[in-house]
Amino acid sequence: MTVQAGDDIPRPGLDDRERELAPAVITSWRLSAALGWILPSVVALVLGFVFGGSWGWLVVVLLAGLVTFSVVFYPPMRYRRWRWQLTELAIELRYGVLVRTQETVPYFRIQQIDIAAGPVDRLLELASLQVTSASASGSAVLPGIAAADAPRVRAELLARAAAAVAEHPGDLRDAV
Amino acid sequence: MPSEPGTQPPPPPPPSPSYPRDTRDRRGPAGAGTPGPPDASAAAPQRDFTEPRRLHPASVVLGIPVAQAVQALIFPFVATLAAPAWLTLFVLLTFAAVGGVVRVLDWRMRTFSFDGEVLRVDHGVLSRNHRSLDVSRIQQVEIHRGAIQRLFGLAAIRVETAGSASEPEVDLRVLPEADAVALRSAVRLSQARLAGRTTAGTPSEDDPSGAAGREVLRVPMRHVVLASVTGARLLVLPAVLGGALQFIGNQIGPFIDEAIERMIELGLAGETPTVVGPDLRLLAIGAALGLVLSVAAAVVVGVLRDGNFHIRQVDEDLHVSRGLLSTRDSVVPLRRLQLVEIKRNWARRVLGYATVRIRSAGGSTGGEGRVTVPLLPTEDVDRLLSELLPNVDGVPDLHAHPPAALRRALFRWLRPAALLIAAVHLLPEVIGFLDTDLVATLQPYTFLLLPINAVLAVIEYRQLAHGATPLVVAARSGALSISTSIAPVVKVQALTSRRSFFQRRLGLTTLLAHVAGPGALLTVLDAGRDDAARLHAQLTEHAASPIPVVPERADGPGGEAGGRSGRHDGSGAGSQPAAAG
Repeated sequence: MTVQAGDDIPRPGLDDRERELAPAVITSWRLSAALGWILPSVVALVLGFVFGGSWGWLVVVLLAGLVTFSVVFYPPMRYRRWRWQLTELAIELRYGVLVRTQETVPYFRIQQIDIAAGPVDRLLELASLQVTSASASGSAVLPGIAAADAPRVRAELLARAAAAVAEHPGDLRDAV
Repeated sequence: MPSEPGTQPPPPPPPSPSYPRDTRDRRGPAGAGTPGPPDASAAAPQRDFTEPRRLHPASVVLGIPVAQAVQALIFPFVATLAAPAWLTLFVLLTFAAVGGVVRVLDWRMRTFSFDGEVLRVDHGVLSRNHRSLDVSRIQQVEIHRGAIQRLFGLAAIRVETAGSASEPEVDLRVLPEADAVALRSAVRLSQARLAGRTTAGTPSEDDPSGAAGREVLRVPMRHVVLASVTGARLLVLPAVLGGALQFIGNQIGPFIDEAIERMIELGLAGETPTVVGPDLRLLAIGAALGLVLSVAAAVVVGVLRDGNFHIRQVDEDLHVSRGLLSTRDSVVPLRRLQLVEIKRNWARRVLGYATVRIRSAGGSTGGEGRVTVPLLPTEDVDRLLSELLPNVDGVPDLHAHPPAALRRALFRWLRPAALLIAAVHLLPEVIGFLDTDLVATLQPYTFLLLPINAVLAVIEYRQLAHGATPLVVAARSGALSISTSIAPVVKVQALTSRRSFFQRRLGLTTLLAHVAGPGALLTVLDAGRDDAARLHAQLTEHAASPIPVVPERADGPGGEAGGRSGRHDGSGAGSQPAAAG
């Protein structure tokens, strides 16, 4: 178990209200979308002009539309849909523009918490926090919270996990 | 502390299958909470594993990881293919010699020990590896006896934890069989002790003959045979059919040559050529032979693998044994059971049978190793479920999903069909070389896919259902092969609800309940929005606080005790106090 005892960990005291991600995450998403489009664009342009002849211009127009959408318009939409919350029992995530997703990982089931920050995230002072349960597919990722907040969130989660485990008699503490 | 009643001097050969219900709750001091002394209580009756020991020397040969050996040999083999034979032989021999030395060193440097709480494995020649595995983390223990291993009285033991991703956490190949069994009992004993349910005395000793405990299920040989005939193991079919085709080709070839020659001769002689076809009877015999062979192969493989399949319950563990030539014997603690899947493909559905797959969180036992009951009459499924899941009578009542789900099912099935039809009709116009007679002949037939897929969509919709009780959650889906998954609610780790744009318009939600283990997931596809929200909330509550709810029990939150008492005698609430008194 990741957590030994609940008392040793200072509780930062995050309350139960709904939270948003850090606004800087929009920039981070824009950058990664732009970077992600470079290679496909080059390939599509080359293919379009070599094989498509005059159709090449259509490829350019389509490509420009797609890139504009995914870099300019999509990230703010995605941001507006993102909410996370530390409820009484679980960490809950609600997100998704087209596919709305609600993910719930109860504190009692938390096995591991990772904080990660890539180079772009570090420039923007962001971090992502991943909460993993014993299941292979059931994990929750907060993609962009302020780097300064991440340890606080983690401490809070650990404290709540420890408290949830401590509530149970010995033979039930094992979450698997 | 060694005053614990049951674990005095090792009682020599275990007195026959003792499965004393009445001693279950005679907890010694160890049962009171503190884990007992590491050694005294865990010492397997005959053997002591506290000192690091090596595997059996035969593991130099029998312990070779096959994949690794193939990898090591494939490069030199391919590289020297062009070289003269003696060079190839020399290189291969050199590699074999080096490999042999490595294996011997590996055997010398690989030790394991078990002190009652931690299983330790140290290995590695140049870089040493020390692995310690806490006994409370162990999900599943499997003893595997290959055909060759059985000849020499050897066995391999595999230990799975929830974390092991692709390979077993600990894989000890090979040990003397008695050692493997003793090690497993030692693990089981200390697991039982940690769970606070010390069965005083000799908790039904592991018995290689497989007589201990209570038999929960035995699959008769005719069912194993039927399972191989109706199962995916008939995938051997293509290989055999290929062989048959070659046979047929060999039959036809000479005839064609002969026919052409004769035509030429006749043509030269100025007569009308007549063609004599190949012997059709021979062709038919060949095809029939191929079919019979493939079925026979499937049956042989299936019978060797699953023959003598039986499940016993020993204390709180399921012992699943199977195999004729090489045997597997897996132990899954009942409380580690994560998910039960009942699968019925169309052939088995027609005949009234199902297969049942039992998943623990053990990671690596993919496909082959997963505990699967090969075949079971549908009417026996409920009984098996009540054995596997405490206090559960069978598949819970399932509720059908709203009619809007039918539209989604139709969409799911018709979209790929429509895409295929469009591709077959449009692509030949664009891409020249696809414009062949074959494609043109196929084009009209592709429209047949539409009605077929529509029927499948309706079938799938009618099978969609889910249900939940305070103890388990269940979901059913599938069109050709219908699968019902059942998970104890206390095993749900996390939840995901998804609503795509179309699902939102139709008021539907897809709910995923994640349980431990690779790919272990219970999917409630396209449930009504409110139903799904309610289920999400209910399961979150259970996952956050996994206290087993046992309706009949009166004496408070008995925890694990509640889960295990009286599921067989039907008077669970009563049996416990009686046993204690």
